[in-house]
Amino acid sequence: MLLISSLKKKTKLIAIASLDSPKDFYIPLEGYRYSMGLVVEVGTHLKKYELVAESEGVFPCKIHAPVSGVVKGIVSIDGRSMLHIENDFKETALPLSPLDLRELSLSGLTDHLLDRGVQGAGGSQFPTHLKYQVEGKRIDTLIFNGVECEPFLSADFVLMKERYLELFRMAMLLASVLMVNRVVFAIEKQHKELRNVLLKCASGLGMELEVRLVPNSYPQGGELQLIESVTSMKIRKGFIPSDYGVLVTNIGTLWAMYNAVFEGKPYIERVVTVSGNSCSNLGNFLVRIGTPVAHVLNQTKNSCDLSSQTVVIGGAMMGKAVDSLDSPIHKGAGGILVLKKNRVLVNNCIKCGLCVDVCPQHLMPLEFVRHNIANNIEGLDSFNLQDCIECGACAYVCPSDVPLMENIFEGKSKLF
Amino acid sequence: MILNPFIKPRFNGTQMVMIDVIIALLPLVFVGWLAYGGVLIQLIGIAVLSALLADFLFSSLLLKRFTSVLDGSAIVTALLLVFTVSPITPWYVVAFGAFSAILFGKVLWGGLGKNRFNPALVGREFMSVFFASIMTSPNIWKFKDLIQTPNSNFFKGLEDGFLSDYFSSVLFQTKGAMGEYSIVCIALGGLYLLLRNRISWHIPFSLLATFTLLNWLVGDIGLSYSMGGILLGTIFMATDMPSSPTTKNGKIYYGLMIGVATFAFLKGGIRYEYMSYSILLMNGFSDQVSLVFKPNAWGVVGDWKGRLEAVFMLSLKIGCAILAVLSLYYYDLIHFLVFIYIVYVVLKFNYSFSNKVNNVV
Repeated sequence: MLLISSLKKKTKLIAIASLDSPKDFYIPLEGYRYSMGLVVEVGTHLKKYELVAESEGVFPCKIHAPVSGVVKGIVSIDGRSMLHIENDFKETALPLSPLDLRELSLSGLTDHLLDRGVQGAGGSQFPTHLKYQVEGKRIDTLIFNGVECEPFLSADFVLMKERYLELFRMAMLLASVLMVNRVVFAIEKQHKELRNVLLKCASGLGMELEVRLVPNSYPQGGELQLIESVTSMKIRKGFIPSDYGVLVTNIGTLWAMYNAVFEGKPYIERVVTVSGNSCSNLGNFLVRIGTPVAHVLNQTKNSCDLSSQTVVIGGAMMGKAVDSLDSPIHKGAGGILVLKKNRVLVNNCIKCGLCVDVCPQHLMPLEFVRHNIANNIEGLDSFNLQDCIECGACAYVCPSDVPLMENIFEGKSKLF
Repeated sequence: MILNPFIKPRFNGTQMVMIDVIIALLPLVFVGWLAYGGVLIQLIGIAVLSALLADFLFSSLLLKRFTSVLDGSAIVTALLLVFTVSPITPWYVVAFGAFSAILFGKVLWGGLGKNRFNPALVGREFMSVFFASIMTSPNIWKFKDLIQTPNSNFFKGLEDGFLSDYFSSVLFQTKGAMGEYSIVCIALGGLYLLLRNRISWHIPFSLLATFTLLNWLVGDIGLSYSMGGILLGTIFMATDMPSSPTTKNGKIYYGLMIGVATFAFLKGGIRYEYMSYSILLMNGFSDQVSLVFKPNAWGVVGDWKGRLEAVFMLSLKIGCAILAVLSLYYYDLIHFLVFIYIVYVVLKFNYSFSNKVNNVV
């Protein structure tokens, strides 16, 4: 079990604040596994909330305009294609149509979620409507994942603290649609002061809610690890939790679902924590999808220098470092972190076994490196590389700074 | 492209690991200094210099790594080596031991972390084989006149004579090799390493438990062994990272088998080197132990029957190896093992290890 000092105290008490919207938005055109195709033409004038791109296939996704403005074209930032929208600062918006709750069916709900572009806010951006397509399955437990095990991030915590009424309304709706008896909010032990607040409010609403305190270890917020903590069921990676009667939804996703269902708003903004060990002005901010990192850092009066600092979108353990500060916030980005550059001194593996100790999936990460270097695909397979959840715990503890993640990603690309 | 994670714990480099081991060994240096004063410091100085020289020379020549001498592992090896020998060992023997520990125990395997055997113990075996007349003569353990601080009763205040004797002998006893004088100091070092998470409890616990249990079961019929020596081997050598298994259950099994081997060697009449032999023997099996005790991935139902069979077969192999070592000892042929080792590691370096110097694993 790996403990990382959480460093959330810095931001968890700061209320959510809004930022001015930037002039240029870069909408990421990557859906889930497939890239999205434009449905608007370059040069058209968009209204806020208008659908701009979508992908079809097994994992359909949609993305909407976060502001009104002009479509400037497709640009490439950090090797990914983005739709450039120039803000006209008029905020002319399409009328919003909330979901009609009187004749609500599960398929109506999932169609609505797809239409509003709701995707997992916890990082993977899995299309939420697919997760809730559970007709014919019996769901016993609905878990709402407030376990932000990533250090620094507090976006889900402030959402639970400030927007619990919205979250509860959505959770109650889901529980009644899915006919679930057990609704669990999982939070970390370090946030235990939140427990009574949530329970009190839930009993005020007449809602049966269980608040589960889970350890502060990393990666406790991983879906499979959380399911085990709440239901003591160990589900193998690649199997679908709803087949076992469990659904796990991230708090950020739940809030996006609330906005989609009760207000009719597409998923165009989310809460983002600005923090880091090299960041001077911290906080939690409501940021629109597509806002460049540079704009957020400017607005929060942070300066950064990519030659001596690393700017990360997402968390410090699983996020992505940006090469260009124009990189935008995407639907799964819970944070913008300005961090000191890691000093990396690659040494030989000394077989200390720490990576094996901390691996939440009970794998042997050092063997992935060995077999990836030797190009031994059978070896990678026999050590269950496909079960790796890429949490980075092994690379975190490694005293020799062995390039574990590099080899894991490379090995995975050889496997599939 | 920088990959995740973007944070690292502080004080966590390979160098820090080595510094921690050196810190854990400091109490023993102090006790040795109490006992012999300058002699010990001289020997340590010679061993460290010789090890550093060998590391710099051969890492640069053979591995093309010019800075690996800075990682501190040579110092650890030299210290451990000095602690396994008698204080009246001639300085050139110690220098030779440290030199060969680094060359044959570490560099020829491809550098720190790739060695399959504990370098300090390899060095010790080289000394015993190439300076057999000095290292195995009974005179080497006769050094009464050298001692500056004699055994004394530190607990005179205690009423019970037996208890006070026992406590004093645990704290300070000038018998055996230089690292064996103070069980308390060894334990202190072990505690420090445990707290710093440089060793895990698995190997020491299962080793000592097995050894004690076997002693108790068979009944201690005049087995003469040094608790200090066993503890030193348990805490500082059996837990050596590169040569011990990586999985938790593997570590427990590994400690258990070292305990069994130590006991068997003692019973078989090996007088001084029972601990070195048993650790070196299990070093050879540590990769297999790791793999046999590979943890089940999350949510995967393990094949416990297959695993049981694998454990059984492995135990058989190890049992045979223990018996083989005992027979070699009986016929006084142990030194051939060292010759075979030299041939093996040199050939292996030429044809395999030297091509993989830049692989991290």
